[in-house]
Amino acid sequence: MRDSIYLAWRYLRHHRTKTLLLVLSLSVFLGLPLIMRAMSRATQQSLLSRAEATPLLLGKKGSSLDLVVEALYFQLKGAEPITKADVDGLQAMDLALGIPIRTGLMARGFPLVGTSLDYFPFRKLRMTEGRGLAMMGECILGAEAAEALGLGPGDALLTSPSTLFDLAGVYPLKLHVVGILEPSFGPDDEAVFVDLRTAWVAEGMGHGHQDLSSAGPDVVLKRKEGTVTANAKLIQYNEITEANIESFHFHGDPSSYPVSAAIVVPHDEKSGVLLRGRFVDAETRQLVRPAQVVDSLNKQIFRFERILEIVVWTVGLATAVMFVLVMVLSWRLRAEELRTMTRLGCSRWKAAQIMGSEIALMVGASVLIAGVFGIVMAQYGETWLQTLILRGS
Amino acid sequence: MLGYSRQPVISLRGVCFEYAHGGFSLNVGELTVASGTRAAAIGPSGSGKTTLLNLISGIERPGSGEVSTAGVRVDRLSSAGRRSFRITTIGFVFQEFLLLEYLDVLDNILYPYRLHPELHLNASVRSRARQLASDLGLAELLARRPSELSQGERQRVAIARALVTAPSLILADEPTGNLDPATKQQALDLLFEQCEARSTTLLMVTHDHGLLDQFAQIVDLETLRPAEA
Repeated sequence: MRDSIYLAWRYLRHHRTKTLLLVLSLSVFLGLPLIMRAMSRATQQSLLSRAEATPLLLGKKGSSLDLVVEALYFQLKGAEPITKADVDGLQAMDLALGIPIRTGLMARGFPLVGTSLDYFPFRKLRMTEGRGLAMMGECILGAEAAEALGLGPGDALLTSPSTLFDLAGVYPLKLHVVGILEPSFGPDDEAVFVDLRTAWVAEGMGHGHQDLSSAGPDVVLKRKEGTVTANAKLIQYNEITEANIESFHFHGDPSSYPVSAAIVVPHDEKSGVLLRGRFVDAETRQLVRPAQVVDSLNKQIFRFERILEIVVWTVGLATAVMFVLVMVLSWRLRAEELRTMTRLGCSRWKAAQIMGSEIALMVGASVLIAGVFGIVMAQYGETWLQTLILRGS
Repeated sequence: MLGYSRQPVISLRGVCFEYAHGGFSLNVGELTVASGTRAAAIGPSGSGKTTLLNLISGIERPGSGEVSTAGVRVDRLSSAGRRSFRITTIGFVFQEFLLLEYLDVLDNILYPYRLHPELHLNASVRSRARQLASDLGLAELLARRPSELSQGERQRVAIARALVTAPSLILADEPTGNLDPATKQQALDLLFEQCEARSTTLLMVTHDHGLLDQFAQIVDLETLRPAEA
């Protein structure tokens, strides 16, 4: 047997391009259906578990899926925002806790999430390093974001400008990292959390600048009835510090400021039912159960998965036929070699063993590749597929 | 060699052979080749030279008559038995060399050892193969592929492959047919030398009558009778 394997190995090695193509084709044939199914199940379960951990979600009337994707998975879907007043109004009903979520900006490629301090105990997120948010301008990093950026407490990071080529647009805000979260193996790991007001400042709705009352004539253009007009020399702050925090302010009524959604945590089951009843006929807002939305998304995924499986099996069948064809043609091309083997005295069984070893080596290598691919996909595929599904939905 | 008697090495008596599809038949009244003899089989194309080698080696089975090779009644062996007998007792040298491109020279020489469980490939066999290669002037070429060799070098590899199992009989089917005159004589000299050194019987099919004076026995297929040179 060892000799058969040796001869088979030498043959395959000599025809390495053909062998590699066949092995890769077989790997896809063997690995893809199993990997797709396992990843799809894991992703569906992962999506559902986060949705099930979120009792209700308040948002602007429209696509409930967009709302859930934006508020739970921080994927930017561009759902219409509600206002802070809507969240305050919900709190005032005294039936539930409202946790605002503001998404939309990024910080060095990771989603910037403005929220309240209630978010962290609600998601059972604990610090592995540093402390919680204490003042505006601070941020807490999810475990993966911290690792990828190589940042820790005491470091700083800039928000990504939303309008890169607009000089009059919003400038990046320097955030001070004060804490790192423990890994939670979900979207929180990739988020940069800030206070809701800090998110608004980052979006340009609030700002800080040098004190105009003491500013000289080189900065002030005119003063009229309590209104001061400054020129471009006015120093705008791009970070919030203890020294300049007092200068930060919001023009207009902050209760009218946007909030992407609010996680609603009813005090009890009855409160939840009452709340849902109150929002049934709401004209501009909706109160959705994320589990229901994700369940319906999962059903779509499952349907898609069935179609994909048929396609994959068809491709697999074609691959298998191609493999058999290549092997048969290869043996026909090797008729002279087989004849030589026979003339030298090689038994039919031995010849079959050599050919069989070639197939076994290729199938073995394919199983190995499919296995390694499966392990890699099990490690990283779920997040990748989750992102793909959420971004593509 | 492997338990088979050496006297006489080839013996055919009253052999009749016809291919299943018909059209060709070979009849041999009596043919004997003694151990250690250097014999040539001659005859025009289609006279049955290759068929004779096939009968002696057990590739083909006669319809009637006796074929005895190295003391074994080959015609009585089963198909599996004839294959086993062939690889352990007979060495082949083909006109087209029939070397495997995916094996290097050393592996091509050792090829028969990879094909039969009774032939054990061990250190002493490897050493013998290297020595054989060295004797045939192939020592520097062991890691090369057949396509990297000249025609003469390929033929020497084929001769080494035939000799590596230390067979009692070498059957050579026009082994110099693809070689130029200079290389041809060189290859023959090596083949004769190695056969003589090992007291191996050689039966060689050839079209080249100029070579016949180098053989001790001529088997003329046209007359169907062995004729002494």
